[in-house]
Amino acid sequence: MNQIFEVLGFLLIVFTLLMQWEIHVRRIIILFAASSFIIAIFLVLLGLSRPHEEYLLFVLAGLTIVVRGITIPVVMNKALRRLYNKPWRVREDKPLFGVGGSILLSLVLIAIGYFIYQNSLYSVLKVRSGSVPFALFLQASLLIISHKHAYIQMIGFLVMENAVVMLSGWVFGGLPFIIEAGVILDLLGLVVVSSLIIRVRESAILREGDTYESELRG
Amino acid sequence: MNQHIIYLLPIFFSLFGAIICIIPVRYLDRVASVIASVLSLSSAIYILFRPVYIDGFLYIDGLSKLLILTIAMVYLSTVLYSLSYLKHIENLLFQHRLYYILLNIFVATMFFSVSVNNLGLIWVGIEATTVSSALLIATENNQVTVESAWRYVIIVSTGLVISLISITFIYGSAGTLSLHELLLHHPDNRVFMIGILLGIVGFGTKAGVFPMHTWLPDVHGKAPAPVSAIFSAVLLPVALYAIARFIQIFPSDTIKLFALILGVLTVAVAALMMTVQSNYKRMFAYSSMENMGMILIGFSLGGYGLLGAVIIIVSHGLAKSSVFFLTGDVLSIYHTTDIQKVHGLIQRLPRAAATLFIAAMAVTGAPPFAIFVGELFIFSVLITQYGWLLALVVILFLAIAFISVNFKTGKMIFTGNESFKRERSRTETWVAIVNLVLSFIVVLFIPYFELLLKNLL
Repeated sequence: MNQIFEVLGFLLIVFTLLMQWEIHVRRIIILFAASSFIIAIFLVLLGLSRPHEEYLLFVLAGLTIVVRGITIPVVMNKALRRLYNKPWRVREDKPLFGVGGSILLSLVLIAIGYFIYQNSLYSVLKVRSGSVPFALFLQASLLIISHKHAYIQMIGFLVMENAVVMLSGWVFGGLPFIIEAGVILDLLGLVVVSSLIIRVRESAILREGDTYESELRG
Repeated sequence: MNQHIIYLLPIFFSLFGAIICIIPVRYLDRVASVIASVLSLSSAIYILFRPVYIDGFLYIDGLSKLLILTIAMVYLSTVLYSLSYLKHIENLLFQHRLYYILLNIFVATMFFSVSVNNLGLIWVGIEATTVSSALLIATENNQVTVESAWRYVIIVSTGLVISLISITFIYGSAGTLSLHELLLHHPDNRVFMIGILLGIVGFGTKAGVFPMHTWLPDVHGKAPAPVSAIFSAVLLPVALYAIARFIQIFPSDTIKLFALILGVLTVAVAALMMTVQSNYKRMFAYSSMENMGMILIGFSLGGYGLLGAVIIIVSHGLAKSSVFFLTGDVLSIYHTTDIQKVHGLIQRLPRAAATLFIAAMAVTGAPPFAIFVGELFIFSVLITQYGWLLALVVILFLAIAFISVNFKTGKMIFTGNESFKRERSRTETWVAIVNLVLSFIVVLFIPYFELLLKNLL
């Protein structure tokens, strides 16, 4: 089963790399939906791999498909349609890294994830390839910091959450159902609220241009 | 009545307030919010005198009780202040009704976070505070407030993902997330310790702890006054509450030292940033950050350091909400947050000016306010555990913060040669005055705090 998990983890990293290269927001949303389905498959397999079948993991997989795989992408697409006349043409204008740079950085991040895991946790956890969720987490961070478009930053955050689901399931056998369900509900609320904020933000930027930089300095 | 239900009353009342606000009847949102906040405060006071309660779902000890009380007091004052303040906002993003719905839900999530007996549910509650409060920041609809709301969502949520990883580590190594069980016994291995360390960093993001504090001045600088007040007074301490529990679970030297270093760095960065602020709301935001740093130092020291931290939480909550309410009064008269452009406040708004002057002294730890006493407790433990040198360094930064805030506040209040017309005094200023008086009175209740926190000291 561990080998199948490794393949799924690798697929998730590839999907995140594709998100990194892609400039059209709509396609990035589709890639995120696809990666959420992979997470759902992972949860089903995790449930099947247990000595006693864990039905709550199947419920969680169903919730993941409904919320992460369908509802969140639909909400984001709807928000895009309300904001832009041609939502399929919305794109990141100024990605921080080109394709070459992002491949290089991604490889570096995978190496860093592996290094951190191997040197700090492997001796205790003894889970082979447990560094994959860490690498995925770092990739998602890169997605956030290398893009200015709010939707792509939001997707970066959602990929981070996917990495945590994978980490908890693969390395630690999963979190209690009530916590996982709470996390998913929070996520849904966050996406709805964020879509609203992004809509107001983007329409203000379209109207006035970026005027906030001097006032928000962190 | 079932004991369990009594401890759930603050959550129930605030949620009930939110539900009533949905009904589209004129002024019902305001009436329902006032009633909900009064009932929440009454139940919080009642809970204060009830015994410690621990079951599978709830964990209500002295620390939780004092936080519930602080949240309830600031909740009531925020609702009362909002009643008249919202009238001054010209370009509202949404109807008053939605503002009160979100405010009530936001408070309910904070009550929930400090009441539950599960680290995972504490995470769920604190993440829910982000969901419910993000739109409140953008109440005043303009590009800058919306941008600061977005930054808040993305920075805080990312930080909270780190704390979710920490929860995963803790559950993976201990096999439970029950606060009660973890306090009784926990594993002593590397995974558990990394989990605790990540938790401090992750929840520290929400508490405005260095180096993940960048959202804090932006949000406090741009959110409407009542929202800045409730954020600064109780949202930041609720996140620190999670950190306090992490330290309480695993009080190893490494964890305590890590929290202490973060606390000292937070105080230092906040104090230095205060010296260069030209926006009074951002300046007070950094003052909140400085106080959170002191609270974190207190938690890391434990014992009477923890008592000092709790005294600061309660007193700072009341005094800082008073300060932010008053900045709302100033903003609505001067229409600017630039310190240089605010003169003669004592002539234009004498009552608000005098209160702001005293409140600024209170939040910067001037005697005889309770924050000063809390800091004394923390320093006495700091000197015992780490010696004079570190204590002197922290005192130096506190002195810088004290001078910066009070000099700049004094400048706004007392400078200006020309004579200004006195403005009509505002009823909402009384809310700030009451909070300031309460913040002073806290000093009288310190022996009772000690009694409540007996098991933790």
